[in-house]
Amino acid sequence: MSLVINQSPVERLTAHFEQELPSLYGDAALRREAMATLREKGIPDRKWEDYKYINPAALFKQPHVAQARVGLEIKPEAVTLMVLQPGSALAVVVNGELREDLSKLDRLPAGVRVKSIADAVVSDAVAREYYNAVNGTSADPFVLWNNALNKGGVFIHVDKNVQSEVGIHVLHISTNEVAAVSHPRNLFVIERDAQIEIVESFETLGPVKTFTNALTEVVVHQNAIVDHYRMQLEGQVGHQMNTVNAVTQKGSNYRTYTFTLDGAWVRNNLNIRFSESHAEAHLFGLTMLNGQRVADHHTIVDHAIPNCMSNELYKGVLDDKSLGVFNGKIFVRRDAQKTNAYQTNRNILLSDDAQINTKPQLEIYADDVKCSHGTSTGRMDEDALFYLRARGIGEAAARKLLVRAFAEEVVTNVPNDAIRAYVENRLDHFFN
Amino acid sequence: MEEKNQILEEHIASEYKYGFVSDIDTEFAPKGLNEEIVKFISQKKNEPEWLLEYRLKAFRHWQTMTEPKHWPHLHYNSVDFQDISYYAAPKKKATVNSFDEVDPELLKTFEKLGISLEEQKRLVGMESKIAVDAVIDSVSVKTTFKEVLAEKGIVFCSFSEAVQEHPELVKKYMGSVVPFTDNFYAALNAAVFSDGSFCYIPKGVRCPMELSTYFRINSAGTGQFERTLIIADEGAYVSYLEGCTAPQRDENQLHAAVVEIVAHRDAEVKYSTVQNWYPGDKDGKGGIYNFVTKRGICLEANSKISWTQVETGSAITWKYPSVILKGDNSIGEFYSVAVTNNMQQADTGTKMIHLGKNTRSTIISKGISAGKSDNSYRGLVRIAKGAKNARNFSQCDSLLMGDQCGAHTFPYIEIHDKTGVVEHEATTSKIGEDQIFYCNQRGIDTEKAIGLIVNGYCREVLDQLPMEFAVEAKKLLSVSLEGSVG
Amino acid sequence: MQASVEGKEILRGLNLEVKPGEVHAIMGPNGSGKSTLASVLAGREDYEVTGGEVLFNGKDLLDLSPEDRAREGLFLAFQYPIEIPGVSNINFLKTAINEIREYRDMDPIEPKEFLALVKEKQKLVELDGKLANRSVNEGFSGGEKKRNEIFQMAMLEPKLCILDETDSGLDIDALRIVANGVNQLRSPERSFIVVTHYQRLLDYIVPDFVHVLYQGKIVKSGPKELALELEEKGYDWIKAETSVAI
Repeated sequence: MSLVINQSPVERLTAHFEQELPSLYGDAALRREAMATLREKGIPDRKWEDYKYINPAALFKQPHVAQARVGLEIKPEAVTLMVLQPGSALAVVVNGELREDLSKLDRLPAGVRVKSIADAVVSDAVAREYYNAVNGTSADPFVLWNNALNKGGVFIHVDKNVQSEVGIHVLHISTNEVAAVSHPRNLFVIERDAQIEIVESFETLGPVKTFTNALTEVVVHQNAIVDHYRMQLEGQVGHQMNTVNAVTQKGSNYRTYTFTLDGAWVRNNLNIRFSESHAEAHLFGLTMLNGQRVADHHTIVDHAIPNCMSNELYKGVLDDKSLGVFNGKIFVRRDAQKTNAYQTNRNILLSDDAQINTKPQLEIYADDVKCSHGTSTGRMDEDALFYLRARGIGEAAARKLLVRAFAEEVVTNVPNDAIRAYVENRLDHFFN
Repeated sequence: MEEKNQILEEHIASEYKYGFVSDIDTEFAPKGLNEEIVKFISQKKNEPEWLLEYRLKAFRHWQTMTEPKHWPHLHYNSVDFQDISYYAAPKKKATVNSFDEVDPELLKTFEKLGISLEEQKRLVGMESKIAVDAVIDSVSVKTTFKEVLAEKGIVFCSFSEAVQEHPELVKKYMGSVVPFTDNFYAALNAAVFSDGSFCYIPKGVRCPMELSTYFRINSAGTGQFERTLIIADEGAYVSYLEGCTAPQRDENQLHAAVVEIVAHRDAEVKYSTVQNWYPGDKDGKGGIYNFVTKRGICLEANSKISWTQVETGSAITWKYPSVILKGDNSIGEFYSVAVTNNMQQADTGTKMIHLGKNTRSTIISKGISAGKSDNSYRGLVRIAKGAKNARNFSQCDSLLMGDQCGAHTFPYIEIHDKTGVVEHEATTSKIGEDQIFYCNQRGIDTEKAIGLIVNGYCREVLDQLPMEFAVEAKKLLSVSLEGSVG
Repeated sequence: MQASVEGKEILRGLNLEVKPGEVHAIMGPNGSGKSTLASVLAGREDYEVTGGEVLFNGKDLLDLSPEDRAREGLFLAFQYPIEIPGVSNINFLKTAINEIREYRDMDPIEPKEFLALVKEKQKLVELDGKLANRSVNEGFSGGEKKRNEIFQMAMLEPKLCILDETDSGLDIDALRIVANGVNQLRSPERSFIVVTHYQRLLDYIVPDFVHVLYQGKIVKSGPKELALELEEKGYDWIKAETSVAI
């Protein structure tokens, strides 16, 4: 007879943290504080309004193996296959740590710096200034977890007036032989009047369940323009929590594109706060789900300041037994007069077993504002399908065409040709 | 500007019209809540054993529950449930056989409310007849037109009477739509409810008149916990009206009602509410806490339930009249105008649960926030798996008046069947100064202009109300919003 | 009279006398203060009247609220009529008429009489009966909106009508209908101030006097021929003349 005493998930988390702490970079006090708050708040489950439809508790329960030590070797050829855009600079992050040996950063113009955040918080005043500053007092358990245990990631800094022709591709790879967790941590600071395009993509290598808890802080200074893509391409075993906390200043334009095209379980928390007037934010999202995949998009656009504009368009195509969630919050704070905030969420269900839960939420405390949201869910237009078939188009091709047409409204907003072509290609292969 | 301020001040100072207290001889239960009180209430009502058991079970379950304070967008001090008297009844003679025996003070109360209990007047003077069940504090005091209705087999009486005379119906349906396990206030109500209205429309009968209940909280330090049960049997139709008022008091008073509606095959129930509980004064002192569970079930095919509500009162409103669309081809509707002014808070909306095939639901919600109030729409549309070809359309509009108030929408949409089609739209707007000026230029003063614009904004909902009720509702809207645009 | 908006002076000393039955046209280049004049007369709060008086039937209009000015008999046909969703034209007009009647100590209009009046006046501007039941100006075309303004004018029977750029955005057919409606409303008791940039409206609504407004002042007044002269020569010669005068 043997006696097994199980530690509670929180105890295991704590033990793992204590074991890892000596080897972690940066401010140990900050990490301890995050861990303490996480212990106090507890592990989220379905009773948390923000995690109502997807139970994240299991993610905290898997073994917390120090990942770098168990990662698979990555060959440069494998990386080449995952490059989305040959012309751009490449930063490869493996299990949450920047690998300069696999990256190609020499293409960047002067004034654009990409480096390991673990180094930057020591050597770079800008990184020190903004690290964890955008997160503020966020008590989200995943933010806290990342704060406690991240081993690094990418710091991108674009100097003022630098409008980079060359984009940056940040390729996140999770590699595993045993189940494990990684916490990539990014900080993007774009100075005034600068412009940059950042494409993040997420891939998994290896046979075992992975969990990536990515956290990115974005600071967009006056009049800067940022195109921020997130390509979520993790396969059948990839689980991902992806938090972006962004703050934007006067006259800036922050555009995000979230393509959730693969992965077993994906949760996105995209939080944008206007800290100064006359700024714009655009949020585009396209989700394609099949199998038993789960994707949950939570977005918050916080109009704390007058005269800002936000526009959000998220679309979802759900097949098989997939589960989709959309929760879009728009806050218009007192005094945020002349706010324009628009939000649209549309979904189609292709199968009897697919599910979608949407909650477009407006909280408005100012009166001179224009806000609207609309959401609709339905199945594929059977009449249109019949019409196409009557014109001799096979059913499969006709379905493909209609899904393409549905997605087009999002795809057409993508300024990057390579990404657009990539997404269209994935769309065409969605049914195969 | 100056003139508008003046108007504003005048109306902020204006009194809640129904804020009188009637001097009626009343019988109270001691304050506090325990099993003894539950038994006391049951005894007072001379209830059968099974009902007492039901109450006790509900009470024990309630003790295990916690007040739902986290998810609603409401901020208030918790209710001290031991500081409330759970039973207050006007003392009455053993039986009230004729109109003359009703307490004259009570009659005056209802006259002040504009409700005539004197059926003769209704019979002669008006085109449409309304049968009234009047509930004061917790007890049903007078039901009119009973005999006329009885000829058609319609039962319309107080809940207590139904327990005595139609126990089989009460036993069969009570708690079948809102079980006491449903939520905190439903459990509380099931334990301590003292009366309410009961209505049964037999097979194939169209109720020839509007049925109406007027609720009034009168006594200080009491809660009102009434229970309404409406059953429309196969092919039956009834239109049901509910009106509420309460006197002005400094302390908050609790109202936790339960309304259950059952619609059988081909039946239709239309339930309209004009809620005008005392909202508290301009600083938020006093007012009714209104925590109400209202739910209907379209039990069988082709049935229809529609809720229409005009909510202008209460300090706190927590209310989600819902429809469970179980029968195939059944229809659920929710039309709502919720007005909040001064310090009022409302978290209200609906749930449409689609279970049957080809079920349809419509939600039209119009929120109006003024003063320093907070107004939230919270709604759920669920298309369950197997609810083939279900349809929902929701329109949630918010109108803001002034920059100190809040308007929020929290729609939950859960679709588990691919044949479901759900559309949700929401807009937020304010009354434009240019609109008011345009009206002024045509000779219409600012107050009237606001009334005109607000009534226009709410038209889709007001159109759903029976005529006399609509007139009352329009007046109420204007009164509630007087002086709120500057 | 002087008036300013947000501290900027727009009207700077303007004298005008309009007698019963007269039609005065006010013309002027863009930004001369034409629309300000119309708005100030109607009582729009965006404008601060910094001096002067406007006597109307012996009362100073400037002391009155916008609705009382309307009740005294002033009517402004808006350049951009406002949409009021959910409020039907009929309900809107009935409310307005009864408010005005109440001000004049008259009983509310009888429903029958009101409907007869609506029927009669609709014909004036060839307004479709269906429009009367639609929400005020909501979803109306530009021409329909302007015709609706004249229809309201006919219903409210004002003493002084101000037409603020009523011709803007109208094609020639709509212009003719609107002008025709106005002409039928001309009477010895009713006066008009027609504010316009172009002379073409004055081909249809022939004024008794034409005034040229420039930089917030009336710089030239004359008979209806003045309008033709303006049409021919443009506003530049006025500007030139004015600068010489200054």
